[in-house]
Amino acid sequence: MDSYYTLPKSNWDALLSSILSDYDIYAPFRFDDTTEYSVVNEKNVNDIIYNQPKPSSPLKTFFLPVKENVINPVKSDKKRIVMGAPSCDLSGLSILDEIYLDKDYIDPNYSRRRENTLLIGFDCHTTQEYCHCTAYGFKSYPEENADIVISLIDNKILLNIKSEKGERFRSSWVNSYERITDKEFSTLSDIHNAVREMLINKNAGLPDYEQTSKLIKESDEDIWQRYADTCVSCGACSAICPTCSCFLFIERPEFEKVRSIDTCQYPGFERVAAGEDPLRPLPKRFQNRYMCKYVWKPEKFEPKACTGCGRCIEACIGEINKNDLFRELNKKETVTI
Amino acid sequence: MTTATVDLYKPVKATLTKVIEESPTIKTFVLEPEAEFSFKTGQFIELILEGIGEAPFTPSSSPLVKDQIEVTIMKAGFVTGKIHNLEEGAVMGIRGPYGRGYPLEKLYGKEVLVLGGGCGFAPIRSLLYNLEAEQNKIKKLTFCYGSKTPKDCIYKGYIDHLRSIDKFEVYRSVDKADEEWNETEGVVTCLLDEISVNVEESVAVVVGPPIMMKFGVQKLLDMGFPEHKIFLSMEKNMSCGLGKCGHCMMRKYFVCKDGPVFSYDEIKDQPDIWK
Repeated sequence: MDSYYTLPKSNWDALLSSILSDYDIYAPFRFDDTTEYSVVNEKNVNDIIYNQPKPSSPLKTFFLPVKENVINPVKSDKKRIVMGAPSCDLSGLSILDEIYLDKDYIDPNYSRRRENTLLIGFDCHTTQEYCHCTAYGFKSYPEENADIVISLIDNKILLNIKSEKGERFRSSWVNSYERITDKEFSTLSDIHNAVREMLINKNAGLPDYEQTSKLIKESDEDIWQRYADTCVSCGACSAICPTCSCFLFIERPEFEKVRSIDTCQYPGFERVAAGEDPLRPLPKRFQNRYMCKYVWKPEKFEPKACTGCGRCIEACIGEINKNDLFRELNKKETVTI
Repeated sequence: MTTATVDLYKPVKATLTKVIEESPTIKTFVLEPEAEFSFKTGQFIELILEGIGEAPFTPSSSPLVKDQIEVTIMKAGFVTGKIHNLEEGAVMGIRGPYGRGYPLEKLYGKEVLVLGGGCGFAPIRSLLYNLEAEQNKIKKLTFCYGSKTPKDCIYKGYIDHLRSIDKFEVYRSVDKADEEWNETEGVVTCLLDEISVNVEESVAVVVGPPIMMKFGVQKLLDMGFPEHKIFLSMEKNMSCGLGKCGHCMMRKYFVCKDGPVFSYDEIKDQPDIWK
């Protein structure tokens, strides 16, 4: 379902202020050079950053906290609204849903948070240096997992209602609105097209998702060794990745259990009791993350395991740019042909 | 969305009622769970040491016994070392059972060849208990078991029992024999030269250390076993048991949920399969 409504931004801000007792609301705000999610209150509602590309933290952190007690989880029945997730993060939820909402073993905490959260995604009206969603077939505006999508144009909020949950929110709270005009719709399309052009130009030579998979499968060990040279196994690439979802259990007294985010980038991730550890060599570990995202997960799941947000490139203290690696593989193949 | 499993991660408490020394490094722990805990042969459980850690094990007892569960554990790492120090009366936690066990329905009506090495006998014993109880459903069972030295051979009394079953044949080897050893000396695969099996009518199950499984599978393929009739129990770093934590990922498989028992044709393309 797609239906469009508009309202003046001042009305939208007032609306958000009026529902603060009904919902915990999170939205992106500016912190120095970055945007990051924070709690919305009556004072800061006007400071929400609209339609900028991804906040620093991926959306997954709202559903998979860095650490939590899975035996006695902290539960809150208050409904949540998470505003501002971009297309890449929202699409990244699909593969997390495959794993955590797997019908054989539905994770209770993840499931409760998913049900309890209204997702208001934002269109990206501009791009950041390493954004490459379109190279993997995603749009710069959310197409999946959002209940509502917002664009702020000429001081007006354009609401695109995308789910029944979104429609229930609109009919409950958005009392005065206008239908979107042809002109507004055309302005929105112009923005989408302009951003698409920017992304295409920026990512020339970058192989698409399927081609990347093929290139990785055919690659030699040398290139992984070379690119892993500056990797320090900090795990930042996984921590900020919207689709990385591995975790570690930590046992606590009284048979309580803490789930903590983990990554194959840490030594010992696959180590078994007798000491066998296939991922001990760092280049193997480094390569493993890309094998997982581009080769193995696609063999198992339909949703893509990389949505092109580019955070892993931004976060890498070893300045490893996986897209340079893929461009190099692509170039090598083109030359060989 | 469907209803979530509320107690997904919550263990069942179990009291340690007996500790049996099997070899200098292997002990069997007999546990009585507080609540009924059933499993299928070849499935694994997570055994929890309160506040310390948990580790995956395939029970070595009969899946047909419901009130107690036996786990045979080699002292190999941090958690297993701590478990080896436990005394009777200790309370542990059990989660599971998890994964896909041995495909019994594919063994029915066949000659079953079981190739095991070292501590791999533990999960095999559970399978043998199961097949002993259902021996009318199989034609014959040949069990080839190898260990490093005679003192590393586990379940000595049980071997005698197996040899008393008409449909069961047992062959043992040790890598290095002593004066008292009167069975085969050599790696376990050499036992495959001693046995008589009708490959056309057979299904093979292989459980043991990676290097043994590697050469075992190669030998079985040479003997003419088709890839889909060789079943392997894979050992990876299973942790959550639910196909979520990622630690046991083996190519597209979560070994904990999609395995741990796989047919060889399902996993043969996996790079570094035996590591």
